[in-house]
This record gives sequence, C-alpha cells and structure tokens, in this order.
Amino acid sequence: MSKTKIEPLVHLNSNPCKMCMPLGSVTAFYGIRKSISILHGSQGCSTYIRRHMATHYNEPIDIASSSLTEEGTVFGGEKNLMIGLKNIIEVYHPEIIGVSTTCLAETIGEDVPAMIEKFYHAYPEYKEIEIIPVNSPGYGGTQFEGYYRALNSILANIKMDTTPNEYINVILPPMSPEDVRMIKETFEAFEIPAILFPDISDNLDREYSKDYEKLPAHGTSIEEIKRMAGARMTIELGMSFLKNSPGRYLSDVYQVQYLPLHLPVGIRDTDIFYELLSKLSGRPIPAKLKKLRGRYADSMIDAHKYNSDGRAVVFGEPDFVFSTIRLCAENGVMPVVVATGSVVPELKEAIEKEIKALADRFMIRAYDIVDDVDFKTIEALAVKHHANLMIGNSDGRRIEEELHIPLVRRGFPIHDRVGGQRLKSVLYDGSLTFMEEIANAVLSRKEVDFRDKLYNKYFKQEEESLLEKTKKETVIRTVYVPVDRKKMEEKTNTHPCYNGCASESARIHLPVAPKCNIQCNYCVRKFDCPNESRPGVTSHVLSPEEAFARYKLAKEKVKNLNVVGIAGPGDTLANFESTRKTLELIREYDPDVTFCLSTNGLRLPEYAQDLIALGVTHVTVTMNAVDIRIGAKIIQYVKYNGMLFEGESAAAILLSNQLAGLRILTAAGIICKVNIVTLKGINDQHIPEIVKTAKEIGCYMTNIMPFIQVKGSIFENLEATSAQDLAELRKECSPVMKQMTHCKQCRADAVGTLNDDRFKEFDYSEAACESVYNG
Amino acid sequence: MNGIIEERKQSIVLKTGTENSGITCDQNSVSGSVSQRACVYSGARVVLNPITDAFHIVHGPIGCASYTWDIRGSLTSGDDIFRTSFSTDLREKDVIFGGEKKLEAAIEEVVAKHQPKLIFVYATCIVGVIGDDVEAVCKRISNKYAMHVIPVKSPGFSGNKATGYKMACNAIMQLLQDYKNQPLQRGINILGDFNLAGEMWIIKSYMKEMGIPVISTFTGDSSYEKLIKAPSAQLNIVQCAGSSMYLANRMYEEFGIPFIKVSFFGVEDTTESLIKIADALKDEEAKQKITDYCTEQTTRVEEIIAKYRKNLEGKKAAVYVGGGFKAISLIHQFTALGMKTVVVGTQTGKKDEYEVIEKIVDKGTVILDDANPAELERYMVETGADILVGGVKERPLAYKLGIAFCDHNHERKHPLAGFDGVLNFVEEINSSINHPVWDFIKSEVSSYE
Repeated sequence: MSKTKIEPLVHLNSNPCKMCMPLGSVTAFYGIRKSISILHGSQGCSTYIRRHMATHYNEPIDIASSSLTEEGTVFGGEKNLMIGLKNIIEVYHPEIIGVSTTCLAETIGEDVPAMIEKFYHAYPEYKEIEIIPVNSPGYGGTQFEGYYRALNSILANIKMDTTPNEYINVILPPMSPEDVRMIKETFEAFEIPAILFPDISDNLDREYSKDYEKLPAHGTSIEEIKRMAGARMTIELGMSFLKNSPGRYLSDVYQVQYLPLHLPVGIRDTDIFYELLSKLSGRPIPAKLKKLRGRYADSMIDAHKYNSDGRAVVFGEPDFVFSTIRLCAENGVMPVVVATGSVVPELKEAIEKEIKALADRFMIRAYDIVDDVDFKTIEALAVKHHANLMIGNSDGRRIEEELHIPLVRRGFPIHDRVGGQRLKSVLYDGSLTFMEEIANAVLSRKEVDFRDKLYNKYFKQEEESLLEKTKKETVIRTVYVPVDRKKMEEKTNTHPCYNGCASESARIHLPVAPKCNIQCNYCVRKFDCPNESRPGVTSHVLSPEEAFARYKLAKEKVKNLNVVGIAGPGDTLANFESTRKTLELIREYDPDVTFCLSTNGLRLPEYAQDLIALGVTHVTVTMNAVDIRIGAKIIQYVKYNGMLFEGESAAAILLSNQLAGLRILTAAGIICKVNIVTLKGINDQHIPEIVKTAKEIGCYMTNIMPFIQVKGSIFENLEATSAQDLAELRKECSPVMKQMTHCKQCRADAVGTLNDDRFKEFDYSEAACESVYNG
Repeated sequence: MNGIIEERKQSIVLKTGTENSGITCDQNSVSGSVSQRACVYSGARVVLNPITDAFHIVHGPIGCASYTWDIRGSLTSGDDIFRTSFSTDLREKDVIFGGEKKLEAAIEEVVAKHQPKLIFVYATCIVGVIGDDVEAVCKRISNKYAMHVIPVKSPGFSGNKATGYKMACNAIMQLLQDYKNQPLQRGINILGDFNLAGEMWIIKSYMKEMGIPVISTFTGDSSYEKLIKAPSAQLNIVQCAGSSMYLANRMYEEFGIPFIKVSFFGVEDTTESLIKIADALKDEEAKQKITDYCTEQTTRVEEIIAKYRKNLEGKKAAVYVGGGFKAISLIHQFTALGMKTVVVGTQTGKKDEYEVIEKIVDKGTVILDDANPAELERYMVETGADILVGGVKERPLAYKLGIAFCDHNHERKHPLAGFDGVLNFVEEINSSINHPVWDFIKSEVSSYE
C-alpha cells in the first residue's frame, strides 16, 4: 500500500510545533530552589510533561498531579488539590510549590488562590511553604507563555523585599541548562552579583553523585527572589515578546531599572553583552575573552562559504528563533522559513530586516516568516523554498526523515539524541559550536549528495539526449584546415559536375564501396546491366589496388581526366577503409588530381576530418529531406552504431549526421553539393526547404534530380518526375542557391566526360550482371 | 513506612510467606503522588494509534496531541497516516463558544482531501465540559459520507489509563458491529500487540510457520480493510491482556470468538503460547510443526543465553511496567537468566495478576501498584537492585541511582518478543548491567570520601 501524503490542513493542527502552558510553567519552577510542581487537573498532563522533559534533560522529573476524577470535575477539585499538596509536602519537603492549572481546571473554573488559602488554614504547619498559583490552561498559549506566566506569578505572590541591594536581576528565557550555566559563570567572572531567574542550570543538568536528592536543591532561592525588588537593575535576556514580562513587572511595581537585551548568541549580541558587563563591573574585558572572540571570528571566516550555501528552516520558541536568526544572518546562512508555533505576530517585524538584508545580498527572492504554525505547514514551506537545513528541536525529525534535510538540534525538546540539556548556543564559545554544527550540516549533506546531484543533473540529460541527439544535431569538434582558395577554385572549374560541363573535363568513378548503411525506398543496389546508367549500379566492385590500376589505365586513355570520384555503389563512408586506401594510392601517384566523393552522410561527422586530410575537395551528400517526418517516408532503415533504426528515429539520425557532417566540411572550405531525389507527393513540395537548409550551412550547390523508377524497390510504382516539374523546381530554387542542371545520374563506375561514358572499356568483369550487395 | 503517603500504604506489599497479601490495585491514583500513570486519553490513544491508515484526530487543546504524537514505535507495512498528529488545537475562544463547529469543519476537510475510510475522534478532558457533542458530530458525518467516524470517549479525568484501553476497545467494537455477520474463516486474530519494533511481524512469522492464517491484528500494523474481517476468525489470541482482554471478552460475547491469553516474552512463554494456539485450534499438524520449530529455536537461544548467564547470575532486577501480564513474563525471563526480581510494580495490574506475581517471586520482593518515583527510589536502593526495567520516565531515576536500565516501553527500537526478542533482551540487560561505566563512576565517588 502506498503512503498517503498529508498536506497542511486549514482546520486541523497537523504535527504540533508547540507544547502547552503547564510544561513551560513547570520548567520555570525547575529553576527555583527546593521547588516542586503540582498540576491541577487529570493525571495524564503531569505524566506526559514528565516524560517530555525527562527524555530531553535526561533527569528524573517529578511533577505531581491533583489527579482530578469525574467527581472532582463535577463538584470541584478542591479536595483533590488539598490532599495533593499535603502528600507532596510529606514526600518532598519543598520550600516552594507551583500549582499550575491545566485545561480542565480552568474550564471548570477552579479558584486555585482560594484553595491555597484554605490549605494554609487547614495546615498551619505548612504556612512557611510558598505555594504559587499559576494560570496555565493548555489552550491559552504554548510552553513559552506558560514559562513567563510562572515567573510573573512567582514575583507577584512572594512578599518582596524592596531594600535596595547590589544585585542585578537576570531574567532568562527558556534555554538549555548549559547556556544558563555559561551566563551565570560570566557574571561570576566579572564579579557582578546577579540573581538569575530562573536558574535551571543545576536542577535540570545535575551531576552524578552517590546521594540522590529528589528535590531540586539548586536554582534561584526564595531569598534571592525577594531581593529582586530592590535590585540595581534587571537585565532581561531575550526579545520580551510578551507584554507582561517579569522585567517590566519589576520596573512597573518596584521601579527596578529595566534593560532588555538580546540573548548573547552570535558575535554582535555577545559583544554587546560583554561590553555591558564590563561597564557594570568597571572591569576591562579579559584578554581571554578577546582571544575567544578572535577564534570565533576565525571560525566564521573558515566556514563562511559553506554557510552561504545554507537555506535554513528555523523553528521553535520565539526567543530561540529570534536569536538563531541573528546568528544565521551574521554567518550568511539564509533563513528561508522562520516558524514558531506560538502566536507571536511581533516576531516577523522583529527579524524581517535581518533576513531581508541577507536575501538582498544573496539575490534570494523568497522566504516566509510565520507564527502559529504546525509542522506540516513548515514541511510544505521547506519544500517550497528548497531548504537544505533545519535548525530547531527534535520534533523536526519527521521532516528530516521525510525530506532528508539535516536537522541541527537545538531548543526543546531533544528526544532522539543525548545531551539536550547541554546544547550550547550562547557567548563566543556557544556561538562557535552552534555555527559550526550548522556549517557541518550543510557540508554533511553536500558531501553525501554532490556526486549524485551532479550526475543526475548533467549526466542524465546527456543520456536522455541519446535519443534527443537523433532529433537535434550532433555537436562535433571542428578543425579549421586552411584551404588554398585559388587551388580550390581551379579544381571546381575543372570538375565536370561543378563547372556545368563548360570544359571537356573528364572523371572516373571507382566502385570500391559496395556496402550501404541505409536503405532508401527508391534504391536497389544490385547488379549491373551495362546498358543501364544510374547511381548504385556497377559492373564490378574493385579492391583499392584494382581501382588504382584502373585509374592509371584511364589516366592514360582519357583526355582531361581531372577528377577521381567515389560514388558507391554503396556508401563511400560505409566502406571507409577501401575508400581511404584507394585515395591514398592515387594521391601518391598523382598529387594534383581532384578527389570527389559522394555519400549519404550518415557517417560524415565521423570521417569528415579524415576526408579533409586525404585531400578530398568536393563532397556530395544526398539529402532528400530536412524534416524527419518526410525523411521517414523515404528511407526504410538506418544501420547505425550496430543497431537498426526505422521510421522517424532513422530519419532523425540520418539528418542530424548529414547536417553536422556538412557543417564540418563547409567550415573547412570543402566544396559541398547536396543531391536531392525528387519524389512526387513525398518531398517535392519540401525541396525548397532542403535547398534553403543547404544554403544556410554553406553548401556550394544543390542538384535536384529526377526520380528513376527501379523495379524491386519500394517506390517502383511511384510516378516519375516530369522534366517540366523538375525545371520549375530548379528555377524556383535558383535564387536561393546555384543549381546543377546537367546531371547525368552516373553509375558508380562511370569513366569519361558526362556526355560520353566509357565505363565498358574499363570493366574487367566477365559476369556482367553480378549481385554486389544484398542490403 | 517513612516517606510513604498514607493512602498508598495498601498498594505496597512485601512478600513474606505463601499467603496472599491482597494488594490494593485498580484504583484511581492518589492526588499529589507523582503517579507514573497517564490518563484515559493516553490509554485509548496507545491502543488505537497503531491502526496505520486511520486518521486519529484529537479534539482538544494542543498538549494532548503534542505529547502523544508518534509516541509509539509501532511500525507499518502499509500506510503511515497514524504517524501524523491531528488536533483541533482548541483555543480560549473555542472553550468559551464551543469547539463542535471547529471539529466538524476539520473532519469535513479531511474527508474532502483524503476520502478516509476510518477516522477516530478522541474526546479529551474539556470537550464534554464545554458541551461539545462529539458523538453527534461523528454520527452526522458518518451518515453523510457513509464512512466510519468513531468517537473515542476519553476525557482524562474519567478514570485511569485502563479506562482508556476500554474506551479504545469500545471504539473498535463500534467499527466491527457493521461487519459481524461474516462466514467463519480458518485463522486467528492477534490482540494486544502493537508491532513495536516489528514484534507483530515476528508473531505472524510463527503463525506462518504453523500454517495458521492471521486474519486481523489489534492493532499493530493493522488497517481498516483487515480490521473489519476480524469477526470471521476462529480464535483470538491476546498478548497484552491489560489493554485487550476487554476487547477479547466483547468479541467472545458478541461474535462468539473464543480467546486465549498468550505471551511472547521469554522462551518458555513463547513456546507455551504457540503450542496453546495449536491446541486451541485442535490442529495437530500445526502443533507438531511448531513444537519442532520451538525445540530448534530454544536450542539456538539457550546456547547463547548460557554464555550470558554467567555474567548475570545472582543479579537483582526491579520491574516497573504497564500491565501485570508483562510483569509476570519478565519475572520468568529473569528467573531463566538466574536473576532475582526484587521489586515488581505495574501501572494498571489486576488483582489476579498480582496474585500470580506474589506466587512466583521470592521472599523479600517488594510489590507495588501505581508506584511513584519516591517509592521506586526507596525500594530499589533498599533491595540493591542492579537494573530497572521500565519506561523512559523512570530511566533518569535509575541512572541517578547508579542502576542499569532496560526500556520495555513504546520507544524502544529493537524487538523484545519471540525468540529473537529473548536474545535482544538478554543482550540489553547484560550490556547495561555489566557496562564498564558503573566501575568508574562508583570508584570515583568513593575516592572522594
């Protein structure tokens, strides 16, 4: 069964590029010291989120649930939540508990703050424990919003200490524990007292130790959170896409100076980050950092050309997407699809400038920036923009599997690789690692693909063109052989076929070429009747040596014997070795004699250079059509490269070779003539077209010949052309090109002048009617 | 029992003698107790999701779909529509105004674009609360297009995971109702295998060995066309009893198809099950064939196991899995390897299964129903377990405690069923328990002391 291709749907989310608010809320609480979360809702939510986080962080994730049942749903979940809180305190002994609502709790209208109050009343011994309600219905947003809702809720619910202090609040967006740790260590290195909020670095990436503590022992303490109201300032990293960010809240309510700052991903934003820290601490940027920067810059150069091949799909949480786009832009990795599952229309405005600038540099026309999308949409856009790279969480792996586009794993969740909790993206060091992973992903694909790609792109076209070749023309290397024009003219003037019999020039046809490689429908190359004179006929086939002997004899006997022609009885080039040998023998004996040759042209491209080298100066090609549909009606078959072709392919092969061969010859200054057999109702209307083509490729003249009926040929019943028709045709064509009007359609063993064929004097054969070739 | 929630105490027992302790099980999870269980929806989804050419539409907010998308490693030999997650992705305004229209539009769109034969619509927690009549929508569209749009009643709060299994089985029965009058055919249905890592294919290869046709499979590598032939089978075999006994019961009551419970985990269970199938069909020829086959396979497998046994003898295992029947198979397998099972727990085990478990484990074994991580931690440490067999949620806990781990849940990528499965299992147990990493991390910690 074939697999169904699923395209994006309008009314359904197909493969979600987002998770739900409670997951974000729980993640934020994992950055608070000695905290635990309970989800107010049915049991599944906590289990799913536990599994989702456990496989990313490779840490035990404990999240309780109030385990709402049917009863709780109908009559309210207060009892469940109260028992849940009590049980969780007894097992975990937390200092702070996040009570995050779920879809269910919100839908049935649970008043969690009131329940918490009741709980404190019922259990005064637990009064010291901070219990924080978070409104986090799954339908209200993604994990991104849930994360910030938890942070805001913590700040709003804890009794803050407004006494001014030296601390700087550092609000962190969702990021990997490793990245949080790197930011934290930077503040420590500059000796700036900082409160990271939240700080998941040690709780979601714990070391192995003999003593396992089930309650996260690290992270932002309640004391530190309280101090945030009196801090020197708040640096909020990330884009603060949300109107109610914790930094703004601290500024609005406690007048703590608010400084939103890009995440230090990439060179620009890291520079700014370090400069700020340097100012705040009054310390210079350490030499070690400058070296790191230099090394990153160096790696950017090393990788820049590979990066510029990158056409990336960047997807995930808004802050991740934003900072990754900036890194990509610096490194010339073109983001062609930018996507987040959250509803953040502001994202487009915030990053489009970066993307457009890069697109303009690289002449890239199209890209898409989309929010509130699913993976099926992302997949369709990846195809549309020919993406060759994806950057985002492991939920992109289905697209990777489907489209074979490598995925650089960053963000949350990473479920199919180890080390999700330690992925680096920030500062020079993290940017370097991140950027090189991107470049290597581009390379990994290229290294694997390029052979096949180039093969498919170029080789296949050539393969296909094997058939194409027969339709178009063969392109063959042409070598220009300088020809002595004066000598050429002289030879033409003394050639009986070309000079219009102006002089008493004589010629000899040497029948050394018995075989033919095409079968024309009008031709039967059999035998010989000494009284018949037409092409394709000879009394005897000669070997080159015999031909040479006949030439010497004729030279003595015939006056003005200026031309040696080879005209069959088959095709001269189908018997090229005999032709060559004959001409070589004669040339050695008589350096001045003109060599003339006629052929059907099938193998002309192959031998054209040889003919020129042999000193052939006049070539005649019989070309009865320049349209393969007409050609197909004239020839029965073509034997070419060991294969038999019929119909239009046969005609196409023949035509393309005729034209290519003639082009080589005319380019070399060889005098070419095209013979055309007039076939009534077949090519007679087409002849002007043939003449035009002959002219275009540089032929000297055309010879429009009448058709001779030959018994036994396919055309034996075709009506012969009348002398009048022929004359008209020649007249019509004469403005286009010189016409031969005195053709005698000689035999293959003709000797003498055109008007006085003396071939019988030179025939040695005893059996006059001998079959020389049977197709 | 310090650190143990009061309400949980009846669900944890220590095997002391031969008497039955009467463990409390099959109850709702205790609030605040970090249960390992998921919800009704999850139970329903895991049972139905392997149906390869069905559209599984989750009607609810995104989370439910997001966390269960392609979660099972079920393989397919046909279509793979089931690997795409479809959700109506309900938002705030849908919660206020209702999501019925959105659902209807969604199904219409799927029908228009793909002409599916089978759609499941999972009703999650809030859809009933906001007043969506999912059943009515499904019925309307089913009638309109003469196709099957089947509602799966799975609000998370309406019970536990086992309730979800039942709801999935009800959905399957709703589909089969239309096809119940079919002439009897020679052959069986396989219930309760989900083709994780190709396990259904392994079981089917045994059936082929016996010359027994497989008519339908529930639900591993199944498709609409095959499912609807199920009522014509002679016999149902039930592998994952927890999820599929209810279906087997209903098919017996309503279609008259008898069933037997089988297990393909372990050499013994596999052999026994295969012979049981031949017996149930009264097929002497098949019995002879499979007896010979099993003898041959057992020899092959045991030769290899004998080598591993040296490495594993005396090691202690903790088992925390979904259903009781699987736990029993695992205890047998560990016994066959010369290992002891020191902790056994399940998410949804039944009373009769816990009775069997109590019988086959040694004294001192801790048995827990619906355990939480704190309990698992405590008893694994107390009993000195060397390896935990469980799902991926428990994996990091085992590792943090320096305990080896074997994933016996959805996400594994190698089969554990059948004879090949036994080899994979023993290999996995050995490569984790006897991994060099434990030597180093343990020595490093002690050198700091």
